[in-house]
Amino acid sequence: MSTAMNFGNKSFKPRPPDKGSFPLDHFGECKEFKEKFMKCLKNNSYDNSQCRLQSKDYLECRMEHQLMAKEPLEKLGFKDIMDSPLSQAEKNDKPLN
Amino acid sequence: MVIISGVWTDLRTMLLPPCLLRPHASSMLSQCVQSLARCHAGRTLHSQTVHFLQRRTLPVHLQGRGNRGHSRKSKSQEQEDTKTRNRTVLTYIAAAGVGMIGLSYASVPLYRLYCQATGLGGAAVAGHDTSVVETMKPVKERVLKVLFNADTHASMQWNFRPQQTEIYLVPGETALAFYRAKNPTDKPIIGISTYNVVPFEAGQYFNKIQCFCFEEQRLNPHEEVDMPVFFYIDPEFDEDPRMARVNTITLSYTFFEAKEGQSLPLPGYSYK
Repeated sequence: MSTAMNFGNKSFKPRPPDKGSFPLDHFGECKEFKEKFMKCLKNNSYDNSQCRLQSKDYLECRMEHQLMAKEPLEKLGFKDIMDSPLSQAEKNDKPLN
Repeated sequence: MVIISGVWTDLRTMLLPPCLLRPHASSMLSQCVQSLARCHAGRTLHSQTVHFLQRRTLPVHLQGRGNRGHSRKSKSQEQEDTKTRNRTVLTYIAAAGVGMIGLSYASVPLYRLYCQATGLGGAAVAGHDTSVVETMKPVKERVLKVLFNADTHASMQWNFRPQQTEIYLVPGETALAFYRAKNPTDKPIIGISTYNVVPFEAGQYFNKIQCFCFEEQRLNPHEEVDMPVFFYIDPEFDEDPRMARVNTITLSYTFFEAKEGQSLPLPGYSYK
């Protein structure tokens, strides 16, 4: 973090997150979803676009357990996964919903 | 000047006799000229003054009667001229003054535009809208690598590290990343974190939807938690020519210990 008052140096100004801070998952309620997500990342050489479903699951878990404010998933950028027909969801055999 | 002097020389030859009727003025003038010649005025100056004086004597003759009227008219005209000239100068100065005042008022939005264009200051960033998340389309051709880094302050005893070193994503796609923090001590420790994005210019496109920064997080003794960061990179990143060669972005979090009664100066973030 730059403390010098140099106008010439471009410095980074951190911005607060849009939706605030995640409450800590002290009890590990969503740990399985996190593990699934991490496993998916490892298998797909850390390609995020392959693991969007797992990240969506993790966020849904958080919302279920009051660890995140409930929001429609389109607002979180998961519109493309939502639009795909519910056959995807049925295939995944989600424990939620 | 050359043409005029040529014309007057012709007239002078025609009007030479009447000129001789006033010998005194012309003799005085010629004496002046000769004294000029004797001085270090230079020959060209001497010849020019000769021409000038001969010119001056002629118009008076041409006018004939109304000699004094002409001079009075020229004087009043001169006064008029100076008056109008002064007025125009004053108008110009007043206009410049008003222009400066207007410029100082206009400088506020202009500076804001400049900040948006260059990314300096970071506060005035265009298009940082939460509704962008709904409508943004991922730019599938531009694959970026996001590296994750974790630091703690020297006196902070947590073990803090990222759970993945890198993630490949595209602008416009929301992504999830995890950090892990462990409190190995026997006392609860409250931590507070901040983040940094390198390169700095890419930082304005890096938007966090939700994370664990800027709020106090408490870890009980021997507790370990997963800390997620939910973020995306603005699709306009792909259109910025300065970002054309940027393919790697590093996100770095640093945890500090929060002491009782101390509050960090936060960037526009309000506690409830």
